[in-house]
Amino acid sequence: MLEIQNLTKVYEGGTVALRNVSFIVNDGEFMVIVGLSGSGKSTLLRCINRLIEPTEGRVIWNGIDITALSGDELRKIRRQIGMIFQQFNLVKRSSVMTNVLSGRLGYVNPWRSALGRFPKQDVAKAWKALETVGILDQANKRADELSGGQQQRVGIARALMQDPQLLLADEPVASLDPATSHSILKYLEQLNRELGVTVLCSLHFLSLARAYGTRLIALKDGEVVFEGLPAEIDDDKFRDIYGQEAVQVEIR
Amino acid sequence: MSDRQDAPKKPQRPGPLSSWKFIVGLLIGVVVYAYGWRVTEINLQDLVTGAPKIVHIVTQIVQPDLLTRDRAYQRADAQFEVPCAGSTPTQPAASEGEPYLVLSHTCGLPGEPLSIEGFNFRPNTRGTLRWTPPVGTQRSLAHIDSDANGHFAVALTVPDVGESEEVHRLEAELRWSVGLPYPSETSRIVFEKMVETVFLALMATTFAIFLAVPLSFLGARNLMSTYRGTMIVYFVVRGFFNIVRSIEPLIWAIIFAVWVSIGPFAGVLALGMHSIAALGKLYSEQVESIDPGPIEALQATGANALQTIVYAVVPQIVPPYVAFTIYRWDINVRMSTVIGMVGGGGVGFLLIQWVNLLRYKQAGVAVWAITIVVWVMDYVSGVIREKII
Repeated sequence: MLEIQNLTKVYEGGTVALRNVSFIVNDGEFMVIVGLSGSGKSTLLRCINRLIEPTEGRVIWNGIDITALSGDELRKIRRQIGMIFQQFNLVKRSSVMTNVLSGRLGYVNPWRSALGRFPKQDVAKAWKALETVGILDQANKRADELSGGQQQRVGIARALMQDPQLLLADEPVASLDPATSHSILKYLEQLNRELGVTVLCSLHFLSLARAYGTRLIALKDGEVVFEGLPAEIDDDKFRDIYGQEAVQVEIR
Repeated sequence: MSDRQDAPKKPQRPGPLSSWKFIVGLLIGVVVYAYGWRVTEINLQDLVTGAPKIVHIVTQIVQPDLLTRDRAYQRADAQFEVPCAGSTPTQPAASEGEPYLVLSHTCGLPGEPLSIEGFNFRPNTRGTLRWTPPVGTQRSLAHIDSDANGHFAVALTVPDVGESEEVHRLEAELRWSVGLPYPSETSRIVFEKMVETVFLALMATTFAIFLAVPLSFLGARNLMSTYRGTMIVYFVVRGFFNIVRSIEPLIWAIIFAVWVSIGPFAGVLALGMHSIAALGKLYSEQVESIDPGPIEALQATGANALQTIVYAVVPQIVPPYVAFTIYRWDINVRMSTVIGMVGGGGVGFLLIQWVNLLRYKQAGVAVWAITIVVWVMDYVSGVIREKII
């Protein structure tokens, strides 16, 4: 269970990204975070694995206060939490295989891995991860030779290498076309249902949130303005979240 | 985070104000370029009328002293008295098949006509006719060309030589090339010095890498902006880069030629010094422009600092580092030809000597060697860079 307690983030210069955010994600949920650009979705996700240091509040995961950890303890928690990104964040000049294997870095001997050597079972695991996301034949290509959708699948394979219990997805389909968006979200859904990975995913489009989310929170100016089932969002609630002038756009 | 849409900007139309500004700008431009024209003494007439002056330089440079052949020669001589002393000088006996000279007369005064015939010489060959007085220096009298029968005839006047009792000697010499062409002495020296030049550039570049790589991290703003102290280091390193880079390798070569005496080592130091700063600046900018995304992604997987550097930073900077370094080597080969002119070793030293001695055929060899090596370096470095990036 992931518990966010009174999380606040104030950036240098005084921008308040999160105000006193609290919510709970149960194991096995596909939780979606919606909100406008700048509403604090990315900051929230990065505060959970402490890529960004929260100013106040706590993040409790399976009884451990992540916000209180340091050094090795933090790394041991991070390796159980996979993360995928809007811009995929692959090392473009490295091969797909190397990118996938790098997901295993938290588990392997740092000196051996610094020389580019991975245990056999990890290499086998990487092939399996590539097979899971359907890009087995791309393994030896450079990451930047792949299409956007394929690159995001490499990102998912990298996260799979961590054997994650929780997957943070920061707008994973915002740089992709609608058809590809669905295929990527279907992979996340598959991980969620078949492997029981808890997913916390930020999305732009409410239609996608409705299609894939089991539960949903909405952020506006760093505050939680809605928490509940995707189906509960009606036109009034929609305007609360996205502003009075917003129009719903469907992605099919 | 704050990628909210800004209101679209109105397209600017040129109003009366901006056309007024345009005219002022145009006037300033005219003044600047008119002054520039005068102060740099641009003279298109000289450009045209001066062209014939360089013709002989250019023709010699395009016919470089690349190849040579062994030379063979054939000589015959005769004796002559100035003035006539009564006794006829004994002419060397002409043996069978050997060339010999026949003079119209064997004594006389300067200014009197004299005709000389040669027999049994090598057919169709060029040579010279020389006069050697008993006292004083030898002088060339005429060019000679033998005909198909190995015969030539020249009519001339006795040159203005001092009168003496001893005999004067006339000598005809024909010269021709034998054997296959082989690289001239010039080519051999140029080749030797060109090798030195390429290695000079290689050593300079290599030394520069060792200092520029660590310095480049200290000169990268994104890595050094965390603390006040590191920011001071950043400014010091960047200042060093900018000052050293702004001093041309030519100046460094003069300094080091005094320091470690003239030679290729001075050239290595001069080019190395400049390259440290030039590479350091390029490297730093590369570190500054790396994509932070992969670093963030690897931190999120639980990788430690070393792993993050090896897997996320190094793959991003190594290819551009290699590309810049090869490019620098390429530049250094070009620069080292200039460095030689002020005592930094390499082919430039030869080039400037030959130019000063007006030996343009030899200079031509150096010029062509530099051109070819630079061309090849440019091509090779281009191919490698394309492969890497």
